[in-house]
Amino acid sequence: MGVTRKIGIAAVVVTVLAGGSLAFVQDGQDANAAAQAAAPTGTSTGNNYGNDAGIQPIAFPHAIHAGTNRIDCAYCHYSAERSVSAGIPPVSTCMGCHAAGKVQVQSDQGQQQIEMVQEYWNDGETIPWVRIHKVADHVKFPHMRHINAGLDCTQCHGPVQEMGVLQQPDPAWGDGKMGWCISCHVEQDVSRDCTVCHY
Amino acid sequence: MSADMSSGIKRRDFLKVVGVGGVGAGLTGCSTESAEKLLPYVVPPEDITPGVATWYTSTCQGCSAGCGVWVRTREGRVVKVEGNPNHPVSEGALCQRGHASLQMLYAPDRYAGPMQRVNGELQPISWDEAETLLAERIQGAAGNVLFVGGAMGPTMTDLVDQFLSSVGGSRVEWEGLSEAPLREATRIAFGRDVVPHYALEDAEFVLSFGADFIETWVSPVEYQRGFARAAGVDEEGRKGEFVYVGPRLNLTGQNADEWVPIPAGGEAAVALGMASVIAGRNGNAGPYAEILQAYSPEAAAEASGLEASTIRELADRFQNAPSVAMGPGVAGQHRNATAANLAIHILNSVAGNVGSRVRLVENAQSAPARPYGEVEAAIRSMASGGVGVVMVHGTNPAHGLPPASGFNDAFSEVAFKVSFATEPDETAAMADLILPDRHFLEAWGDASPRPGVFSLQQPAMESVPHFDSKQTGDVLLSVATRAGSPVGPATTYDHLRDRWQNLHQSVGVAEDFEAWWRGALKNGVVEVPVPATEEQVTLRQPDAALIFDAPAFDGDGEFVLMVYPSSRFGDGKQANSAWMQELPDPVSKIAWHGWVEIHPNAAERLGVDKGDMVRITSPANQDGVELPVFTYPGIREDTVAIQMGMGRENSGRYANGNGINAMTLLPAEAEQPSGGLVHLATRVSVVPTGDVYRLATIEGSDSQSKRGIAPAAYIGSLGHSEEEGYEGEGEGYGGEEGGYEKKPLEEMQMLGGFGAVEVEGKAADWPLPGSDRGDYADPETPRWAMAIDLDKCTGCSACIVACQSENNVAFVGEDQVRMGRDLGWIRLERYYETVDASHAGTLDVRHLPMLCQHCNNAPCEPVCPVVAAYHTPDGLNGQVYNRCVGTRYCANNCPYKVRVYNWYSYADVPEPLNWQYNPDVTIRNTGIMEKCSFCVQRIREVQNKAAVEGRAIADGEVVPACQQSCPAEAIVFGNIKDETSRVAELAENERTYRVLDELINTQPAVHYLKKVTFHEVEDAAH
Repeated sequence: MGVTRKIGIAAVVVTVLAGGSLAFVQDGQDANAAAQAAAPTGTSTGNNYGNDAGIQPIAFPHAIHAGTNRIDCAYCHYSAERSVSAGIPPVSTCMGCHAAGKVQVQSDQGQQQIEMVQEYWNDGETIPWVRIHKVADHVKFPHMRHINAGLDCTQCHGPVQEMGVLQQPDPAWGDGKMGWCISCHVEQDVSRDCTVCHY
Repeated sequence: MSADMSSGIKRRDFLKVVGVGGVGAGLTGCSTESAEKLLPYVVPPEDITPGVATWYTSTCQGCSAGCGVWVRTREGRVVKVEGNPNHPVSEGALCQRGHASLQMLYAPDRYAGPMQRVNGELQPISWDEAETLLAERIQGAAGNVLFVGGAMGPTMTDLVDQFLSSVGGSRVEWEGLSEAPLREATRIAFGRDVVPHYALEDAEFVLSFGADFIETWVSPVEYQRGFARAAGVDEEGRKGEFVYVGPRLNLTGQNADEWVPIPAGGEAAVALGMASVIAGRNGNAGPYAEILQAYSPEAAAEASGLEASTIRELADRFQNAPSVAMGPGVAGQHRNATAANLAIHILNSVAGNVGSRVRLVENAQSAPARPYGEVEAAIRSMASGGVGVVMVHGTNPAHGLPPASGFNDAFSEVAFKVSFATEPDETAAMADLILPDRHFLEAWGDASPRPGVFSLQQPAMESVPHFDSKQTGDVLLSVATRAGSPVGPATTYDHLRDRWQNLHQSVGVAEDFEAWWRGALKNGVVEVPVPATEEQVTLRQPDAALIFDAPAFDGDGEFVLMVYPSSRFGDGKQANSAWMQELPDPVSKIAWHGWVEIHPNAAERLGVDKGDMVRITSPANQDGVELPVFTYPGIREDTVAIQMGMGRENSGRYANGNGINAMTLLPAEAEQPSGGLVHLATRVSVVPTGDVYRLATIEGSDSQSKRGIAPAAYIGSLGHSEEEGYEGEGEGYGGEEGGYEKKPLEEMQMLGGFGAVEVEGKAADWPLPGSDRGDYADPETPRWAMAIDLDKCTGCSACIVACQSENNVAFVGEDQVRMGRDLGWIRLERYYETVDASHAGTLDVRHLPMLCQHCNNAPCEPVCPVVAAYHTPDGLNGQVYNRCVGTRYCANNCPYKVRVYNWYSYADVPEPLNWQYNPDVTIRNTGIMEKCSFCVQRIREVQNKAAVEGRAIADGEVVPACQQSCPAEAIVFGNIKDETSRVAELAENERTYRVLDELINTQPAVHYLKKVTFHEVEDAAH
């Protein structure tokens, strides 16, 4: 932005902004603390920036699917290459492998989870996943643009293939600010214009 | 949309949250506490990719013009309606009522489901029970079933007729804006029972006797485009003339070059006077030679109050150029309206316009419009107990007909009354059973707007889940079966396909039906060429006795009353759309309320001014109605005018209580021989009440005060100016005379960044020298700019609603508009230069669309303390909503007053109206400034698409919502740094100027091309 400020106004503005940003960080820390306090019981409402510890309806392990079995991210998150949204796999994708009589798993817990998926399918019900990755509503993040630029999913989402329970990578997105996004834009020397993402 | 839709319920659940950035996306802060759910599909529909829009082609049913539309859907819900570029009627444009259909789809007042009236109260009832009940009643009616319908497409009309012949009954049609006199006049004159098609684009002299072809007349989008092409100056400096003859300037009239303000009812005399001059030379009068002899220019002058020389001169001009004349329209529908229309047909015929600019081709597909005369018979039948079951569909006679017609009482007499209305209206308020129809965006149908044009309508989404509606065609078919009189195929969809199979056979293409059908659905329209021989028509011997004299008016009041259709509500159909209520009327700029137009001199005589309440009484309404005055120079001193479509009492929350129903002042009379309802029939008395009403209006002033905001260029001055580019601008600011030197960046920073730099002031001079760092350094970055041709802009206001629809611009309500808090991102300014109701002469009204100018030197940018307003690398004046803290300094500084502020969270609207919101645009809460963004979401979408496809953006690929909607093709947008772009070319046009730029050096990116006049304008600032 090519407009700088006169000194007097700048001093006031810096104070205001600093005060504002401190308030936001405080909120974030409180929320994190709240989530962690609630974590062991698995009854937390779940927040976006910490562990979700058992709040998902199905205990879906990315580590087994994306890790051990090396399923490509885009197999399930099918619209990342052509849409602003990466997409959540429909229940039919799960059933592609996990329909009755198909892929079996060793552990009892795993088998129980698969049966729960089958139950959702048979009832024609959607699976109400709790959202983990979220940017604020006033941010327009286009997945396909970033995929097209050659980014790998793990660069922003972290080592998903190692995560049993999905969580946002730390410190990436840790404070919910855009600084982390901007640092990559600076590094890659792409646009840092506000209205590219905020409109 | 395929008929075999699976996973319907699962999609409905998905819609509750709508994934990423969906409904309800707004600035609720960066709260980290609330968990959102992500609900995937169970089985994903093939045609939906989350985050990517799916488009369906359909046909608008907002009025009977039948414009083809493209409907944009996101995740299974409709978010925008736009014109279909492949459709011959709309050609990609859409009027404001078409956009309003989106709000009508999601209207919170729609019926929740079928209802039965029990002891005066509406109780919910299941479809099964309702249909069984109706079937029983129909069987009991023993053939006395009456179907009262509005204009329906060919398939629906056929289906209803089949139903009625099966169960026994008859149909009458009541369409509030029907052109029955025009149709009858065409039949008498040429033997064709059609409404003619007017090829305005081929004319060089357009003559309107009151026809509001820009607003509601016959096919407003198409005619507006044709008119703009004819009347907008072309590259060779040629421009069509437009003369308007009539007692009141509607918006169409305001675009004329000359106004001939004849008394109401004098059109026939003028037309015949002109025709007699022309026929006197070329002898083309045919069977009307005697009549034309009786209407010599002198006789016509006496009858119309004009000079004979005026009539002769008009006749000369009409004959010497490719011309077209159009009749008085609904507002001018008086007791001799058929004769008036016939007189205009005679004029067109003797001048040789018929067959070229006036086209008459038999339209075999749609039934002739039934006139009010038939409704009269139906009313008598109902009143005398001759009707056992009455069903009302797509029309609202209880509000649209004058009370003197007796419709309400007669309707109440019928034993069993059914309404298919989607939302409450005055007729449904009397119904015993309500079977809510689907909105056209969620239903099947078709239209045949013109001969040879067959337009399809398909559901663009599943029916809105809040409302348990069912397509009326399906209801009738089910009821017929239950009543023991089954009709053909089981669904409307099947009927539609059957009829289109016939069309397929008659078209005679090699493709099989299924492939052709899919192609037709995708294209939206099938065009069948009409044989050329049909075009040769000549005047026939009249078979009806016609009186060409001025009609009689009831009563002895001082003023003649004109009741005219609304370009926002039609005859009231879109009254319950908040967008339409808040859209300032294009003529009066008043929102949310009614008014009566009175000439300023007449108002002065009465002792009233704008806003003063008056009581208007007529013989048909002795109690009268009360309305605030709007002083309007564009109406004769002996005439007053009131808009139709208001005064709703049993409609929804946005319509009720606004204005009065103008039809209550009229008698209920069928004009002979057409049977059309007379609208121009009575005189009224106007008496001040002493009260005052504070009107909600966005009009600041109707005069430019010589500020050169909307200057015009005399046609004689075009092509003579030596300098290209901006008129009156010097070599640049801070040029040789100014003495400013270019300062290096470091020195500028020490000065706080306000050192002057030398530029030419053009929009393309961005970024400014010294500021081209970082993001701003890339020379490939575009500079977005716009050009608006004021010679084409008609002031119709479609752009305003298109912008509102696209950008989630909220409506604020009457109180807030009174306080000046309306949120329009674009507004239409209207300035009078020459408006004289006392005699025929020059007319000059200027329309100026005003939006954010995205100035290079924007006054709003340096004053934002948090840099929410700043200038982007690609030249937009950016507004970052999440940074804005609401000081409102930017709005204060803006000289164009285009920045608007959210004083409240206006965007919190009742469900499901919020479903209309565009997920690609952030919704603004209280405390945030907003303004036109040049549709930045569309710019980014095209940029993303081009980057992914690895190509450059083509000129014209980014189309903002206003440009897309404009029927007059007045707006052009693009990258002005690209010298081959249209906007760069238009920016260098000799007519181009920028508003206030010379005065205040804002260097806007919006270039305006001056309106061209046939008269000399006072000075450059005018």
